[in-house]
Amino acid sequence: MRIGILSGSLPAALKIHSEVRAVPDCQAYILLCRAPDETRVRSLFKHAARFVLKKGRGRALRLLAGGCVHLFGHPLDDPRTLARLKRLQLDMGLHNLGAIYRDETIKAFRTGILNPHIGLLPRYRGRSVMEWSLLEGQPAGITLFFIDSGIDTGPRIVLREEVDISHCGSVESAKAYLFNLNAIFFRRGLELLRAEDFSFKLNDGSGRRYYVMSRLFQNVVEELIKAND
Amino acid sequence: MSPFVAQAQQLIAGTNSNGHLVGALPGWARPRAWMETETDCLVSLRALCMGQHLDARPVADSSVIEARAFVALLEERRGGPPLERFQLLTERYSYPLNITLEGEEDVREYLLMRLMVQDRARLLKRTVNEMDTDELLLKLSLVALHAALAADLRYLDALNYYYELLPTEWEPAGEHPWLLVSYLMLYAHALAAQIREERECV
Repeated sequence: MRIGILSGSLPAALKIHSEVRAVPDCQAYILLCRAPDETRVRSLFKHAARFVLKKGRGRALRLLAGGCVHLFGHPLDDPRTLARLKRLQLDMGLHNLGAIYRDETIKAFRTGILNPHIGLLPRYRGRSVMEWSLLEGQPAGITLFFIDSGIDTGPRIVLREEVDISHCGSVESAKAYLFNLNAIFFRRGLELLRAEDFSFKLNDGSGRRYYVMSRLFQNVVEELIKAND
Repeated sequence: MSPFVAQAQQLIAGTNSNGHLVGALPGWARPRAWMETETDCLVSLRALCMGQHLDARPVADSSVIEARAFVALLEERRGGPPLERFQLLTERYSYPLNITLEGEEDVREYLLMRLMVQDRARLLKRTVNEMDTDELLLKLSLVALHAALAADLRYLDALNYYYELLPTEWEPAGEHPWLLVSYLMLYAHALAAQIREERECV
């Protein structure tokens, strides 16, 4: 299976790469993409600086030499990027970008793009979902699902699991903890997809779409987390 | 200062020591069927802000288009003059509490989405008076009515968010600047309703 890790950061992509390469028959490629509001030069400079300053240079060099790292200077939905993606003939994309994908980009991957969403679908779609779950007295969790062009509406859920965040002392640390689990969830999801008896859970659209939370409610959630710590 | 703003100030000054708005809310109830009044949307909003009762009666033969079709109409007019969208909303909600009807969920969700995605993004990039402030404040007022009568905290939080986002010394440039007072009054009612419900639960 040919996997493309869609990322805006080489160190973050390396972390996912080292986790998913453990999955049998999995050939992972790093697709370094440009952030939507970033210029081409700034994007190149950012990736170069991270390459020099962050750990993992040796591994990154080996992957570069092996043709496993691809730098995309144009936006994801640009026809030149789409053409390059299609030439790579990837089976699946792993989402690690601050981007919303258009249909054409999703279709460039044979089975689609996987997203580790830090909320339990179908109930919690959209933004600040970890905070909204806690405010409504519900557990935090992660849902790994194949995206579509809507906001967390892709119907195919691979893995959905509650995650204990009671050891986290703040909203920030709880979110960081959940985001840091993305590589593990990708590996587990890929392993599940290989299983013969695997079947998708349905994201049936029965939930609500949530939005950025106000500072007032964020402070309430902060207090709730501290009370549980 | 308009008589409405002066009345609103008086009402706020009469807030009791628990922070509850005196005389507010009792005139409000979530309708079960499409209702109509003799007054238009803006007059009705001002009355609701003051906690007054609106004489409304069920519409016998409603010609009101379905919520989903109304959302499609609003979407279609997105690129057009803001006044058109403002008029569409005021005509549909001449009895503003109709926004809280069960069948209006698609419209409510649409207004909430517009406020929290597109309008919010625009407001973060530009100054508020570059937007159509009448439409923005009307949407906030309608959302506030639902926030006061429903348990869905997303609507209340949209009001929280705009309270934190809008400039403190802002004077709306639109034709109906008093709608800012309407939004703030209805927001206060929604907060009071939420606090009362929490206390009843405890």
